[in-house]
Amino acid sequence: MELRKYILREDEIPRQWYNILADINMNPPLGPDGNPVSPDQLSPVFPMNLIEQEVSTERWIDIPDEVLNVLNIWRPAPLVRALSLEKALDTPARIYFKNESVSPPGSHKPNTAVPQAYYNKAFGIKRMTTETGAGQWGSALSFACAQYGVECKIYMVRVSFDQKPYRKFMMAAWGGNCIPSPSNETKAGRAALEKDPDTPGSLGMAISEAIEEAVADETGQTRYSLGSVLNHVLLHQSIIGLEAKKQMELAGDYPDVIIGCAGGGSNFAGLAFPFVYDKIHGKDIAIYPVEPAGCPTLTKAPFVYDHGDTARYTPLLAMHSLGHAFVPPAFHSGGLRYHGMAPTVSQLVDEGLLEPKAVKQSQVFEAGILLARTEGIIPAPETTHALATVIDEAKKAKEEGKEKVILFNWSGHGLLDLTAYDSYLSGQIKDIVLSMDEVAECEKIYADFPKPQHLKHK
Amino acid sequence: MNSDKDFDNLERRCPRLGSKITFRYCLISGEDDNPCWKIFDCWWEQFDVASYLKAHLPAEVFEKLVETAAVQPKNKLTSIVEIAEQAKQQKKK
Repeated sequence: MELRKYILREDEIPRQWYNILADINMNPPLGPDGNPVSPDQLSPVFPMNLIEQEVSTERWIDIPDEVLNVLNIWRPAPLVRALSLEKALDTPARIYFKNESVSPPGSHKPNTAVPQAYYNKAFGIKRMTTETGAGQWGSALSFACAQYGVECKIYMVRVSFDQKPYRKFMMAAWGGNCIPSPSNETKAGRAALEKDPDTPGSLGMAISEAIEEAVADETGQTRYSLGSVLNHVLLHQSIIGLEAKKQMELAGDYPDVIIGCAGGGSNFAGLAFPFVYDKIHGKDIAIYPVEPAGCPTLTKAPFVYDHGDTARYTPLLAMHSLGHAFVPPAFHSGGLRYHGMAPTVSQLVDEGLLEPKAVKQSQVFEAGILLARTEGIIPAPETTHALATVIDEAKKAKEEGKEKVILFNWSGHGLLDLTAYDSYLSGQIKDIVLSMDEVAECEKIYADFPKPQHLKHK
Repeated sequence: MNSDKDFDNLERRCPRLGSKITFRYCLISGEDDNPCWKIFDCWWEQFDVASYLKAHLPAEVFEKLVETAAVQPKNKLTSIVEIAEQAKQQKKK
């Protein structure tokens, strides 16, 4: 029998998170007045212990025992050798993945939901609020709050609330109070319902309601929670890569290539940042964040200071950007799926420590189907972006006759998102690619803006 | 705004919600019941959504939509601070 899984004992779980902010210099987000956003501005929204993590530059941050005692419900997560995929591709590459689909809600999201619930509880917070689209984050936070006896209120966009019952059933099972947004429970929600009682809601409205509930609680016992993008979220996710490093040692291998999907940044960063630390310290390793070919913010757009709006009220942020005033050509507007990326990921791309890859939509679902039929797990739609690049790299290894070691993050299962597969299998998904000429046109926008420093790691 | 019923009922997976939605939803799910800022991204593959919107939306709404489509999303931390400030102002009223 071939060894497929590499499993750490519970007492081998990492005891500290890795904070990449200790090793890179960041261009700070600038407020409308030109100053960085301050912790005081965030204190009505997040507890101060999480704000401290958000701005910390300590390299290693202890994981409290109370957090480890919940993470160990499913962690350490297995490192799996993708033996069946290797055979299907007839590749000399050795392919490994971190299986984050084994968590109770089925994704990497509880890696941050659990510490966020813990730190809120430790700060004296009784209730957490958040928003959710399809319910993946809402279910992760409900699960986490249940472990610490914190109330959880989730504003779920009504159109999803009506359409996707299973996630809200999960939230309810964990004690989460999931209500459709807009609701009668906030001023923002009531105003929207007064205007149109049958409104299907929107993500923007759900966020507004969740934040309003936190800010409006005069007892100070409610805070808001976010599951992606922010520094403390990426910090908590670093446990993925830290475990993987120990497990690769067990396997007697070290990755030549690290691959993760880069949509919101958190699952990619979770696996990759601990290996970025190795790369900074001399390891020869290629690290690929993968994004859809139709949203080339990282692969093609330049690194600049850019405004968040045309009125220029919002901060100038250093990011990979297609420009605040870019007007898309009618038939190529599909190139603008994302305007900005998590600032730390952008920074690392700018330094050349990460090499972004873009994949076509049809390619990613083809990869998802192949992985489902070989490794057995139906991947979440987001995960399939990483899978497509894994297959490309494995094929390249075969052409070059190299025994390359590939490591990727299987960020979640797709069992509650099967309609995306139905769209692919019924031929509804097409490819999009923005040309370099069109991106060059965008660059003219930044001519008058200050240029961010091309900082190097410490 | 008036829209052709054929387009209204087109369906796709919303990348923000993770749910199946109709084009009609995209027309009203942005700020102030205007179209979602991702409407160009999501629909250009199926039909010439830019020309369609230009023909059906008031000029200033279309112009604002195109501008917004090119800049979203804002830095998350900044957006959160802005929403919190708005909520605090509302509370005072």
